[in-house]
Amino acid sequence: MPRAHLLKIGVSGIRGVVGEFLTPALAAAFGQAFGTYVGGGTVVIGRDTRSTGPMLQHAVQCGLLAAGCEVVDVGVLPTPTIQMYSGATRARGGIAITASHNPPEYNALKLFNQQGLFFNNYERAELIDLWHQSAFEHAPNRAIRTVRQEFAAPKQLHMERVLRHVDVAAIRARRFRVALDAVNGAGSLMTPEFLTERLGCELTAISVDPTKPFPREAEPKPESLTEIAALVRDSGCEIGFALDPDGDRLAVIDETGTVLDNDDVLALAVEAALERLPGDVVVNLTTSSAVDDIAARFGRKVWRTPVGEANVVERIQAVKAAIGGEGSSGGIIFPAVHLCRDSYSGIAMFLGRMAATGLKISELAARLPHYHRRIGKSAYQHGQLSALMQTLEDEFPDAQQDRTDGLKLNWPGRWIHVRSSNTEPVLRYAAESKDMGELDAMWSRVKELLDRSGR
Amino acid sequence: MPAGTGSKTLRISSVGLRGVVGGGLTAAHVIDFASAFGTLIEPGRPLCLGRDPRASGVMMREGVIAALMACGHEVIDLGIASSPIIQHTIRRMGAAGGISITASHNTAEWNALKFFGGRGSYLSTAESNELLDIYHLRKFDYHDWTAVGHLREHAGAVDEYLEELARVFEFDLLRQFRVVVDCCNGTSAPILRRLNERYGFQFILINGRMEGVHFAHDPVISAETIDLQLAPLMLPLKADIGFQFDVDSDRVGIATETGRPVSEEMILPLIADWLLPRGSGDRVITNLSSTRLIEDVAARHNGRVVRVPVGRQAAIDALSNYRKEQIAVAGEGTGAVMMPQFEFVYDGIASMFAILSLLRERGRRLSEILDSYPKYIMRKGEAALTSTGIPDLMAALQAQFSDGRIDMTDGLRVDWVDRWFHVRVSQTEPIVRIICEQKDTDPSSLYEELLETVRRQ
Repeated sequence: MPRAHLLKIGVSGIRGVVGEFLTPALAAAFGQAFGTYVGGGTVVIGRDTRSTGPMLQHAVQCGLLAAGCEVVDVGVLPTPTIQMYSGATRARGGIAITASHNPPEYNALKLFNQQGLFFNNYERAELIDLWHQSAFEHAPNRAIRTVRQEFAAPKQLHMERVLRHVDVAAIRARRFRVALDAVNGAGSLMTPEFLTERLGCELTAISVDPTKPFPREAEPKPESLTEIAALVRDSGCEIGFALDPDGDRLAVIDETGTVLDNDDVLALAVEAALERLPGDVVVNLTTSSAVDDIAARFGRKVWRTPVGEANVVERIQAVKAAIGGEGSSGGIIFPAVHLCRDSYSGIAMFLGRMAATGLKISELAARLPHYHRRIGKSAYQHGQLSALMQTLEDEFPDAQQDRTDGLKLNWPGRWIHVRSSNTEPVLRYAAESKDMGELDAMWSRVKELLDRSGR
Repeated sequence: MPAGTGSKTLRISSVGLRGVVGGGLTAAHVIDFASAFGTLIEPGRPLCLGRDPRASGVMMREGVIAALMACGHEVIDLGIASSPIIQHTIRRMGAAGGISITASHNTAEWNALKFFGGRGSYLSTAESNELLDIYHLRKFDYHDWTAVGHLREHAGAVDEYLEELARVFEFDLLRQFRVVVDCCNGTSAPILRRLNERYGFQFILINGRMEGVHFAHDPVISAETIDLQLAPLMLPLKADIGFQFDVDSDRVGIATETGRPVSEEMILPLIADWLLPRGSGDRVITNLSSTRLIEDVAARHNGRVVRVPVGRQAAIDALSNYRKEQIAVAGEGTGAVMMPQFEFVYDGIASMFAILSLLRERGRRLSEILDSYPKYIMRKGEAALTSTGIPDLMAALQAQFSDGRIDMTDGLRVDWVDRWFHVRVSQTEPIVRIICEQKDTDPSSLYEELLETVRRQ
C-alpha cells in the first residue's frame, strides 16, 4: 500500500491510519480549523463504533472548544442521523468521525455545513487553506464554551422524519420477519429500535454490539455478507438488511438469501419514491440505466453527475429532485428526509413497497428493467487515464461521449465508463448492456485497451 | 494579535506547561505536552485526570484525554477536583500517575498542566527533564487501533479523600470550630460542603461558587487578599478562624478570630508546631527563603530544620533523600505544606485540619498562639536583573556581610543571631529576589543596604 495513502488530507476531509499517521494533534488542529471556519457557534459531533473514535472525538472537541465553539456530542450514531440533527438544530456545522466502509485501522472526519450537508468543494478548499495556514481562532478563557451531550434526540428526529414518508400502519400490520447485520457499527442500536419498535417487525439480528470490532469486511458487498444471507434464508425472513459501519450504505438480501445488486437496490428506491412524490431523479454517471427506464415510466427526467455523494447532493438540490443516489456504492439519497445517503429511508421504502404491493422483495427486484453489468479497477498510473480516454474515443467513434467525469461512452441499451477514483489511487471502469454477449465483447475490448495503455 | 502577545504568556519548563489560554497556551501545546507525558509513562496501569473550574479546563481536558488515549492509556476522569484529591486518588487506585489541569493561584485567564507520577507524587527533576526532552523531540508513542486507550469516570474521589482525612484528624473534636472559608471560586468548595453535610462541620463559605471565568478576586494567597476579603468577616461572624484556599486547594492562608490577616509564612511553623511532637520524624524541610520562626518552633520540640533551595522541585528532590519516618513536615513560605501522613502531597485541606487540631490541642485562640511565638518581621523585594553582574554581586554581598554565617546553596544566604537575608536569582523571571527578616524590629535598614548593593552591580 503506498505510504501516501495512509494519510489523506484533501477533498474528502482528512482520513488515515490512526496512531502513526492520523494523530490527536492533527485531529485537534483540524477541529480548530473547522471551528474557525464556521466562525464559532455550535458544532454537532458524533462517531461510528471504531475503537479510535473516542480518542479522535476528544481531540476534535479540544480543537473546536479552542476555537470558541460550543460542542454538542451526540455519541455513537449513523452519519445521516448526525447530519440531520446538525441541520435541524441550526448548528454552525457538524462532524462525523467515521472512515465509513474503510478497514478498522482507518478513521476519518466527515464535515457538514450549516444545513447538515457534506462540505462542497469550495467549502473544503477554504477549510484546507485555513488549516494549512494554521490561521486558527484561539479563544481566551472567557470565550471558551462547553461540551453538551445529546444522545436521544437525534435518533428520534431521524426516525420520525423517515416515517413521515411511508405507510407505517400498513408496514406494522404485516409484522415482517426481518434480518439485520449492523456490522457492530453506528446503526447497531438505532436500527433494531427502528425495525421493531417503529415498524413492528420481528427481528433476527447479528453484529449489533457497538462495543465489538467489525466482524466482517466493513463494506457491505455480496462477498462479505454470506452470514446474513444464510441467516435470511435459513430463518425464514422476508428480507435482510446489512449496513456499513456508519449506517449510511444499505445492502438488501432477498428472502432466498441473494444479496441484491446495489444498482437494483437504488432502482427499487427510485421506483418507491416516484410512486409517492413528484420530481426528477439524480444519479452518478456509473449508475445503471435501469433508473432511466423507471423514470421514463413516470415521465421524469434523470440527471447524471460525476461520481461522489457531494455532486449528487448538489444536483438534487439544484433540480429539486424526488430522489437520487449512487448505484455503485449502495447509497440512497431521499431529500424529503435529508440530503444525505440514508439507509433508514431505504429500509422504510422497501418495507413500504412490500406492504403496498404484497410482493416479495425478490419479486419486486425481478420486475426491474434488466441489465448486465461489469465493474473493475486497476492501479492508477499518472497520465494513464487521458491516454486511455483518447484510445477509447478512437475505438468507439459511434458512441455518444460524456466527459463530465473521466469518459463515458453511451449507446442505446449499453455504456462504458472509465474514471479515476476520488479516494484511492485506482482507475475504475464499469460497463452495462441489456445483452450479455454485447457486454462481454465490449468489456474484453476495454480490458485489452487498458492493458495496452498501461504498458 | 492574540491577547497577551508580547508579554510572558507561555512558560514551558521542567515544571510543566503554563500559559494564558488562547494567548500563549494553545490546544496544540496541550496535546503535545500530554502526549509527551503519555509517552514517558508506560501503558498498563491507568492515569487519573482532574481539573479546576476554569472554563479553559474543559478544552484542555479534551486534549489531554485524546493524547493519553492515543498513547494507549486508560484514563480515569475525576472531573473538577483539587490537585491533592487527584494525587491521593492516583495512589488509592494504583494508577501510574496523573494530570491536574489547573493554574492554581494564577488569574482566571491562565491555565497549566501539573504532572504526577505513581503514588501521586510530584515528578522528580530527572523525570521532569525527560518529559521536557520528549516534548521537544515530538516523537510520541501513539498506539494503533487495537491498543488505543479508554476513558472512564470516577465519582467517589471526594468521599474517599475525606475518609482518609478522618483517619488522621479527630473530626469529632474539630467540628466545634466556627470556620469561615474563602474558596476563591475553586475546588475547595465542594469538599467543604461535603464536610458540612457528611461530618457536621460548620464551614461558612465565601466565594464558594465554582467559577470558570470571573473569580471574585485574584486567587493568590497573601495577607493583602485575606485582609480585603476574609479578615473583615471574622468578627461579625464570630468565627474562630478563617482560611483561604487557592483554586486547586493545594495551599492555604489564614485570618485570626480578631480579623487579622496572617502572613502565609506562618502556615508551616503552625503545622510544624502540631506535627513535631506527634510524628516519628524530627526534620522540617523548607527552603532558604522561609521564616526563621521554623527553627524556633523546631527547637521547642527538639526538631531539626533542613533548608533547601527555593522551588518545589528542590523540596521534592530533598524528600527522596530521607526515609518517610525521618520527616515531620515539609513546606514553603507560600502556605504550601506537605505531611508524611498524606504521602507528601501539598494539601490545603489537610493543612487546615492540622491548624484546627493545633487550636484544639492548645485550647487557645489563634491570635494567642501566634502571639506566643517570637516575633519576626520580614521584608521582601526584587530588583531587575543584569545577569552578567551576578557573580560580582554575590562576591560583593559576601564581602560586605562577612560577619554572618554564609550559605551558598541557592544564591547567598547570610545568618546572624537575630536576622538573616537571602538574595537569589529568580528561576521564573529576570529579577533578583531579596528577602530579609529580623527579630522584633523592622529590617528596613538591612533591606535598603542590600538593595543598594544589588543596584550597584
